[in-house]
Amino acid sequence: MSTAAPAPKANMGQPVPRYDGVAKVTGHAQYAADVPLANPAYAYLVTSSIAKGRIDGFDLTEAKTMRGVIDIFTHENAEKLKEIKFFSNGGYASTTIVPLNSPEIAHEGEIVAVVVAETFEAARDAAHRVKVKYTAETPTTTFDSPGTTSARAKGQNAMFKEDPKVGDFANAFDQAEVKFTATYETPTQHHNPMELFATSCVWNGDQLTIYEPSQFVYGLKNGVAQQLGIDADKVRVINAYVGGAFGSKGSTTPRTAIIASLARRLNRPVKLVASRDQGFTIATYRAETRHDIQIGASRDGRLVALRHEGEEISSRADAYCVGGTKTTTRLYACPNVDSLVSIVRADRNTPGFMRSPPEVPYVFALESAMDELAVELKMDPIELRRVNDTTKEPISGKPYTSRSLMACFDEGAKTFGWDKRAATPKSLADGDWLIGYGCATACYPTQMGAAAARVRLQRDGRARVEIAGHDLGTGAYTVIAQAAAERLGIPYEKVSVSLGDTRLPPAPVAGGSNSTASTCSAVITVCDQIRHRLFQALMPNETLADKAKETVGVGQTPASKAEQSGQPLDREKAFDALGVSAIEEYGEWKPEGAPKDSLQALHSGLVRMVGGPDLGGKIAYAFGAEFVELRVNRFTHEIRVPRLVGAFAAGRIMNPRTARSQLMGGLIWGMSSALFEATELDERYARYVNDNLADYLVPVNADTPSVDVILLSETDEHIDPAGVKGLGELGNVGTAAAVCNAIYNATGQRIRKLPVRLEKIEV
Amino acid sequence: MSDKSSSSNASGFNRRAFMAAAAGTAVAAPLTARAAGPAATPSAAQDPQLPVDLTLRVNGQNRQLNLDARTTVLDALRERLGFTGSKKGCDHGQCGACTVLIDGRRVLSCLTLALVAQGHEITTIEGLADGDKLHPMQQAFIDQDAFQCGYCTPGQIVSAVACVKEGHANSDDDIREYMSGNICRCAAYPNIVAAIKQAAPEILKG
Amino acid sequence: MQPFVFQSANDPSAAMQALAASGGNNVTEAPVQALAGGTTLIDLMKLDVMRPSTVIDINPLSGAWSQINLEGENLRLGAMARMADVAAHPEIQKAYPVVADSLKLAASAQLRNMATLGGNVLQRTRCTYFRDISYGNCNKRNPGSGCAAMEGVNRMHAVLGTSDQCIATYAGDFAQSLIALDGTVEIIGKSGTRSIAFAQLHRQPGNSPQIETTLAPGELISGFMIPGRWPRSVYLKARDRQSYEFALASAAVALDMQNGVVRDARLALGGVATVPWRAREAEGLLKEQKFDDALAERVADAAFAGATPRHHNAFKIALGKRVVARALYQAATMEV
Repeated sequence: MSTAAPAPKANMGQPVPRYDGVAKVTGHAQYAADVPLANPAYAYLVTSSIAKGRIDGFDLTEAKTMRGVIDIFTHENAEKLKEIKFFSNGGYASTTIVPLNSPEIAHEGEIVAVVVAETFEAARDAAHRVKVKYTAETPTTTFDSPGTTSARAKGQNAMFKEDPKVGDFANAFDQAEVKFTATYETPTQHHNPMELFATSCVWNGDQLTIYEPSQFVYGLKNGVAQQLGIDADKVRVINAYVGGAFGSKGSTTPRTAIIASLARRLNRPVKLVASRDQGFTIATYRAETRHDIQIGASRDGRLVALRHEGEEISSRADAYCVGGTKTTTRLYACPNVDSLVSIVRADRNTPGFMRSPPEVPYVFALESAMDELAVELKMDPIELRRVNDTTKEPISGKPYTSRSLMACFDEGAKTFGWDKRAATPKSLADGDWLIGYGCATACYPTQMGAAAARVRLQRDGRARVEIAGHDLGTGAYTVIAQAAAERLGIPYEKVSVSLGDTRLPPAPVAGGSNSTASTCSAVITVCDQIRHRLFQALMPNETLADKAKETVGVGQTPASKAEQSGQPLDREKAFDALGVSAIEEYGEWKPEGAPKDSLQALHSGLVRMVGGPDLGGKIAYAFGAEFVELRVNRFTHEIRVPRLVGAFAAGRIMNPRTARSQLMGGLIWGMSSALFEATELDERYARYVNDNLADYLVPVNADTPSVDVILLSETDEHIDPAGVKGLGELGNVGTAAAVCNAIYNATGQRIRKLPVRLEKIEV
Repeated sequence: MSDKSSSSNASGFNRRAFMAAAAGTAVAAPLTARAAGPAATPSAAQDPQLPVDLTLRVNGQNRQLNLDARTTVLDALRERLGFTGSKKGCDHGQCGACTVLIDGRRVLSCLTLALVAQGHEITTIEGLADGDKLHPMQQAFIDQDAFQCGYCTPGQIVSAVACVKEGHANSDDDIREYMSGNICRCAAYPNIVAAIKQAAPEILKG
Repeated sequence: MQPFVFQSANDPSAAMQALAASGGNNVTEAPVQALAGGTTLIDLMKLDVMRPSTVIDINPLSGAWSQINLEGENLRLGAMARMADVAAHPEIQKAYPVVADSLKLAASAQLRNMATLGGNVLQRTRCTYFRDISYGNCNKRNPGSGCAAMEGVNRMHAVLGTSDQCIATYAGDFAQSLIALDGTVEIIGKSGTRSIAFAQLHRQPGNSPQIETTLAPGELISGFMIPGRWPRSVYLKARDRQSYEFALASAAVALDMQNGVVRDARLALGGVATVPWRAREAEGLLKEQKFDDALAERVADAAFAGATPRHHNAFKIALGKRVVARALYQAATMEV
């Protein structure tokens, strides 16, 4: 069997090929900008070249005379859109900065005008002819720039609940046998999914259809409706395929309502495909962070005191915050823990979720520090993790639902050949290359949200699943089809799946790695409703369900054991007993502990996510161990990563093929986040300089010679009906630390500020 | 020494850009033949904003178009001809998502003007399969799970087919280097290499 | 991209006639531009950095102008040969590894299939401030407007050949092998063919960074000539990622050695200078010397003697020296 399709271990589904494979390899998969429109007008954005100040006026004379230009919209003539609440404060918006509503400029690259023309070529050229007169003020760019303001995250951002602490850190640190203190920094990074930020809007009477890549079609629908001041039922969002997202397409960005408004005004479909550089400022990004870590330990490596202080950049308008201390304070056993997260405001666009938003920067800091501590203690870094492994988190003593961290380290170490590592730096070399080994812990909270689904099963064994989930490349189509096939006892090939359309029952934002757990749990629930009806037809006396629960649209907990068991069903016989040819059930699933209004909120495009540090009195995380072989050229100091190994345990693996691919991609992302990715800021202007794919480096094929993913068998009955923990964001957590730990092993040099670049290497 | 005067005709010009009526015949001929064809006379200044007629040959079929001279092959394919398989990922030759074959060579359609591609054979992802039968490279991409979001995939597959035909699929290192012009943000790279290794023998067999 | 008149040139004289029509003295900014592979011109036109009113498609000249001839002791490369084809040429790989590798290590397979040699040597800088017209201060785009890179983000910028007007790096690779090997450029103009040393093709920015070459309007590069064979030659390119990236620092080295003694040596630097950069004084140190690491380091030091670092690119001096030393070592020790 090829490595692309690992043989399933216990509690793993089959590695079936992707449901959407043929569509994607033939070019027929229709992404948002691929949808044909009748007589579209093309929009092109003009964005601000200043980061702070105001627009004094426009000279549109030249632009307007260009052949094919239909109109140009600015704050002077565009519809004033209604403001909507910030996503992290329970709303929809990626930012509360609303372009075209006023002449004020809040950040570089803010939309200041939209040219609409008959062709893309004319719109682009006219956009270049738009002259904007600004009064510019000196902007504040980042940490330590004059003019920043800093304040505790707690109280500013509804998603940031607490600064976890327990015991007496100060005293314990003071008394510790070994003390370690260091500062770590991570840079600005942009998601750069391959698909550009496209939006097409089509009005049919008072009905608006939006084609836009989205991780949350229900959120987008409701957010845009509010901005336009129309009923959400009038808005439909369609995107069957999403060309990568990584967090950038989760919340409602300002462009969508703008394009919808222009399309309404022009009474014509309007299509926007924002340019790559504009994508750096019209959506979100991973903000730069800074971390102070203090660790006190005993000589045998046990942590006795841990303090993690994090600082994050956000915009003036919004208190975006990732607050990864919720993870780092709970990762290892430690009786005395303290933490603090602060938000530093600058004249920037509002940051947002990017693949493992809290864990990537915060775990980088902690896992680098753990490696430094291991060096200090002369311990194997894996053994240091083992000594501090725990079955319950230290802050409030909640037990982990399951935790296979050390099993991951042991499996990974074996495959990687960790025993060949030399503890002393600069010990291994191969010709021009110094070789270093590094490892780190990966972890990601298990999260889920309420979801609804509609499933139709036919007597002939074909089924159709409808749920407004999203396949971002994650394999959602595939695992949803597998979940339905398994529950209904029909072949995978007989299941059709529809996703990415607000006409379908709602699913939560495809973010926070909740998608598989949430959507599959909902689909399983609905399939069980169908099983219930079929079993009832065959065994009417076994249990009598509440009549109401047989009705479409009601009930999420089937009454009998049979439908939830693995008991096979004589489908045709049951259908014949019922005298029907098809059964369709709509159902909703709500995770335990989720707020009562979770489903109502979901229909309004709002997510009530549960899980992670608190899932029904337990703590739920997926774990992994990551290993990096890294080479540093002793002459050029070029850094290459010939080998990555990750071992992961994430509850039930729905499909080892898609899981492996996602984790493989995650490992490469993590490596990239350490070595390549940094959005360079020109601090004079608060502007992103390398806003393109030639200068914002992401890995190419030649950068990833060997990536090994080991999937551990793990069963967790405390999480969700699907038994799934989610792994889309697990793979790129810890990798950056493993890279830096390998750099240390290769060179004896500790790099605490990312990205590692060859000019930082001193051999 | 090279021959610096191999083409010859009176004016050497083919003012096809604005000779709307004549352009069809003058331009459909392959480039090499164009020099021998009747030359149009350079005309007085024309409005460069006016659209021009041209014919693109895509996946074996001629398609007549009247479009802005600034249109790239990529935008002509996507916005005018309905071939939306080729993707726009950067529009500046930095990602490879728009890769198509022109006369069998892999090139970036985002940096190729439609006017320059006249008279040449353009092959897109839509032109690889034989009816319902997938091209071996397409099948290999499915088998090896060589994509996730799928957005870069048409460019990857077209590029991969050319990579094999160029003779650059003889080793893993070669494949990785010669496929480095196609960025995959999901980072399916190791699986892409596996897919190319799977498909190469069948492609080379013909 | 502003509207332009598109013409197709079916022979060289037509092309030159059309190109000459633009007048002026700066071909780089001329209103009539020749279009070959398009990998620079279309890119910059989309960015509105280049705004020709007429584009002359010279691809019809490809047939005659893409020949690769290894005649006697010389190599002649047609200007419209595509980078990929020259890089893949087995005899060039054998007789001129530095040429083949400088082409192979550039860009991507697709771009190398498109880009011609003539266009490649004329490719324009990757300075982000130059490429983004929303920055008002760029002396190369708007003479006299200042230079945003000087005090800006300048990790990729030049340390050699800079002026107080411009520090934009010449980004290409192939040009380094041409200048190292004493290549010449054949240029066709209205008044016939002329040939100049490749070293005379590019102009350092000085006080007029907007003028990048010595080509006159109406002139086209028709080919390149490299005298002699250089089987002992190396192109070493240092960069962040393994492929598809411009050089942080590169070295083109060619040696003629006998019994460990260097008879002739050529050295050019890439990624660190405003133009293709021949390190003549440095390479002079090698002549008639027995090669060893210490000598290589002296040469490397000499190559960067006049370097001017900026805030983010100072590392290029140390990096460049190590790249030079390593390239020299590789050339000196390679099996020929």
